[in-house]
Amino acid sequence: MVDQIRHVGSLTMELVGEMGRMFLFLWDVMLSFVTPPFRWTNFLKQVHFIGIRSLFVIALTAVFAGMVLALQGYYTLSRFGSEALLGPAVALSIIRELGPVLSGLMVTGRAGSALTAELGIMRIREQIDALEVMGIQPLKYLVSPRVEAGILVLPILTVLFDVIGIWGGYLIAVRLLGMSAGTFFGGIESSVEMHDIVTGLIKSVSFGLIVTWICTYKGYFTRRGAEGVSQATTSAVVLSSVLILVCDYFITSVML
Amino acid sequence: MSQPVSPTDSAPLSGSDGIPLSLGRQLVANGCVTARQLDLALQRHRPGGEKSASAEHLVGRTLVEMGYISHANLLDCLYQQFARERDLYQVDTTLAPVINLEGVVKILDNRRVLDAVDLAIPANRVTAIIGMSGGGKSVILKHMVGLMKPDQGSVKVGGVALGKLSSRELSRIRGRFSLLFQGGALFDSLNVHDNVAFPLREKTRLSESDIHARVMRCLEEVNLVGMERKFPDELSGGMMKRAALARALVTDPEILLLDEPTAGLDPIIENAIHYLICDTYMRTRYTMVVISHAVPEIFKWCHHVIALHKGKVLYSGPSREVGQSRDPVLRQFIQGELDGPIQVI
Repeated sequence: MVDQIRHVGSLTMELVGEMGRMFLFLWDVMLSFVTPPFRWTNFLKQVHFIGIRSLFVIALTAVFAGMVLALQGYYTLSRFGSEALLGPAVALSIIRELGPVLSGLMVTGRAGSALTAELGIMRIREQIDALEVMGIQPLKYLVSPRVEAGILVLPILTVLFDVIGIWGGYLIAVRLLGMSAGTFFGGIESSVEMHDIVTGLIKSVSFGLIVTWICTYKGYFTRRGAEGVSQATTSAVVLSSVLILVCDYFITSVML
Repeated sequence: MSQPVSPTDSAPLSGSDGIPLSLGRQLVANGCVTARQLDLALQRHRPGGEKSASAEHLVGRTLVEMGYISHANLLDCLYQQFARERDLYQVDTTLAPVINLEGVVKILDNRRVLDAVDLAIPANRVTAIIGMSGGGKSVILKHMVGLMKPDQGSVKVGGVALGKLSSRELSRIRGRFSLLFQGGALFDSLNVHDNVAFPLREKTRLSESDIHARVMRCLEEVNLVGMERKFPDELSGGMMKRAALARALVTDPEILLLDEPTAGLDPIIENAIHYLICDTYMRTRYTMVVISHAVPEIFKWCHHVIALHKGKVLYSGPSREVGQSRDPVLRQFIQGELDGPIQVI
């Protein structure tokens, strides 16, 4: 019994300690945002890596998410004779929820895992130590540009997701199921408000921060060789994904 | 346990005229080349005929290229120059060491890796740190540059305790160092040229043409000209070490730390790396700290030896005297015997 309590206590202490280290890391990264020198090339490279190279997967996810939403929505709404509300249903679901959440999850899978693995390999091959010995702050040089790029890029990807997702819904509703385009888009125009778009954007900025923060943290503090990199990558993806969903709930409950 | 030495305590490397012997003059004195051949090589190496020390030093390679001497001749000559200086080296406790560890304790994973370590690194000398694997040698190196902080004790560089410095001050102190990591720590996404240029681009305001010139000079010094567009994964182990050495040298550091520069290399490349280290030292007179398992070979290439065992300093003194130690652990380590106080099997 005493051993079990001790074990629980030790796990709790470890968890609290890890959270403390994560927040201290985030604080240091935030400070480095405003500390010179500003390396625009590094930042643009990360915008390219996290943003441009995620476009295809975002577009693919968005179009199928919109299509399946329209298909499911049509058959559900038709039971109540409310097919005319399909446009707003698809648009609001995508803009408020699916756009930011799925973009966040896709970026986690495509770019976040790569960020963790890259920094993890740099850590175990002593490249991060080499930067420090050269008098270059690794947080400023390696982590800041990635977090800044994530915060900037995810809202842009989310907007693209929204547009392509609604277009996917349009394909199914109008082209396949024969709804009128005027009804589909008219409903969207009358029901989507600026508040909905802002909510989606606030979520996407938060998710951009979460993904890059967690993934860079896990990579930066990787230990124990190749196995450590693999563990760090897995735990970064799992933790980022879970935190995106948890954070989504809290933002939704505040912004509703 | 400070054991600093005087940078001037060795006799000058002099010829009969009292002028210090450069590498070229040493080659002539050894009868490897004639004075005429040396002049020809100097003119070829520096078309203006400049006879600076570094020009004459680099002329060794030109003499090899011209077929007047072999690499073995050159190595032998360099070694003779260095050996003469090494054999005259004396520990001088009156001078302040450049790096000083005082009572340093470090515990990693519940293991006391460093146990009240006191050591002093003499200025402008080559110091080798030897010891069993896992004995804390790399940990000491990381303490010297502030990558690790001691749990107890202090690390001083030039008399300044690293533990009390702000990150900006620490960064300034680190500007005096270059560290050659065991695995090279070259950046995978950059080619050899950009890896070597990296510290200059990040830490100096030099123009791109000046940076290129310095990079090419360093690559020439480590015999990597022609490899500058290769990426680290396209290099052999020896080339990677030489590229990393070029990156360490490009900033002209005061203190050069080398973490197992010959680990995992074949004997020929190992010899070549030792030659490069000796060559670099003779040309620059940097303070050098080399961690090495190449025992007893490394004793030929250093002035001062520090032997570590179980987190404590077993020996610290001139390399020529390490073989005379009566410490059974040190004797077993140097002779590589299985029987003795160190139980491996």
